[in-house]
Amino acid sequence: MAIINELFNLGTQLIMSLQSMAIGLYTWLLYVWGKLPLLLEGTLLTLELTAIAVSLGFIIGTFAGIGRLSEKRFIRSLATIYIDFIRGTPLLVQILIVYMGLPQIIGRTVPPMVAAIASLSINSGAYVAEIVRAGIQSIDKGQAEAARSLGMTSNQTMRYIVLPQAFRRIIPPLGNEFIAMLKDSSLVSVIALEELMRKAQLVYTRDYRPFDILFAVSIIYLILTLSISRLVRYSERRLRNNDR
Amino acid sequence: MTGETNTNEIVIETLNLEKNYDDLKVLKGISVQIKRQEVVCIIGPSGSGKSTFLRCLNLLEKPTAGSILIEGQEITSPHCNIDSLRANMGMVFQNFNLFPHMSVLDNITLAPQRVKKVTKQSSEDMALMLLNKVGLKDKAKSFPDELSGGQKQRVAIARALAMQPKVMLFDEPTSALDPEMIGEVLDVMKSLAYEGMTMVVVTHEMGFAREVSDRVLFMDGGLILEDNKPEVIFTNPENPRTKSFLRKVL
Repeated sequence: MAIINELFNLGTQLIMSLQSMAIGLYTWLLYVWGKLPLLLEGTLLTLELTAIAVSLGFIIGTFAGIGRLSEKRFIRSLATIYIDFIRGTPLLVQILIVYMGLPQIIGRTVPPMVAAIASLSINSGAYVAEIVRAGIQSIDKGQAEAARSLGMTSNQTMRYIVLPQAFRRIIPPLGNEFIAMLKDSSLVSVIALEELMRKAQLVYTRDYRPFDILFAVSIIYLILTLSISRLVRYSERRLRNNDR
Repeated sequence: MTGETNTNEIVIETLNLEKNYDDLKVLKGISVQIKRQEVVCIIGPSGSGKSTFLRCLNLLEKPTAGSILIEGQEITSPHCNIDSLRANMGMVFQNFNLFPHMSVLDNITLAPQRVKKVTKQSSEDMALMLLNKVGLKDKAKSFPDELSGGQKQRVAIARALAMQPKVMLFDEPTSALDPEMIGEVLDVMKSLAYEGMTMVVVTHEMGFAREVSDRVLFMDGGLILEDNKPEVIFTNPENPRTKSFLRKVL
């Protein structure tokens, strides 16, 4: 009996809160509209950070990915250590190591923007490296053999034959890496860089309406990730139709 | 088949060439000499080491023991510049291995431009001349996936010839082709042989071996069991294993 009573109470509470939510939706929209310029400012920085991190990560990752397949053992282990270390430790820790830990060693502060870009690109580079490695390995061995048999050096073979084909194939996973980095970039809010997440924190610590603002922020992230994954799927389809 | 000039010069010489993959002995001591302008066909059952032997000649496979002399130069020594050696030895693969992201013309001109530093203009002139020679001059702007197997292989031959090699290595060049396309590739190879190109051909095309080659090597179990003129190999082989192999394939 007591249980039924309890359930009944819960039900009425739920209906009442739903009611207030419906009313709240309007006030939520009004509230968020007012905060939108601030949030969009943060969104812009988030996009900027992600784009820079993935671009630099792409450069780092290309070298690390090639290094992972190097014939020289030293280079191979160097690349493996880098990739394992970055992928095996939390990004939050990496960000704090660059922002808080590094100053202790080099004896000067690191600006938040620099720390954010550095830690995010180094992190992205490790993931891109594995994508690049898989892309290179997916290219038929005969391609490299044909190039070498024509007298091309291993560097020329990589540059003119293997990488151009590998890059075309890894566009979809690179898109996914971009999405992952977009979401993970929210972690740099801990070093007070005013990207989207940090802007949200600033707003709700002042207004004390965390649900409203966090819900809005989720929707912004969702819009961004969904549109990027659409783009990735589109490019994937185009590549399938035209494998050149 | 052979021309008049320095046909006694030995271009390729191997001495006790061995190749192991871990415990598996693929080549068990191959010693052979190939002279300038000679056309040598290598026949034998699959797994006999024919392709491995051919791939050792331009060091796509690293021999485990023995030596390979190309024009008298020991190529297995670490001082040998393997890239310039390969630039002088064309290779044609079973699976063509054309570069799919490049047009036919770029496939052919890439290595001359990058390796021999030939100008764009003269490498393209050369490419068009070679495409004409293999009967594909209208395909210069095509991409490999627009070509048939036989056309791909002819482009691959033109690509190898663009480096003006002294030797051409063919690794089962017709094995991946539909039967009706084998002829067009063999015709190109034939005309190359008649022009005096030094050729080593791993093949299952016994008709080609019989008609075109100066010598036929029969390989089995990682050894050369018979090295003879095609007339002898195909009519009256000395080794009983050659005899039983040919009885199965002819």
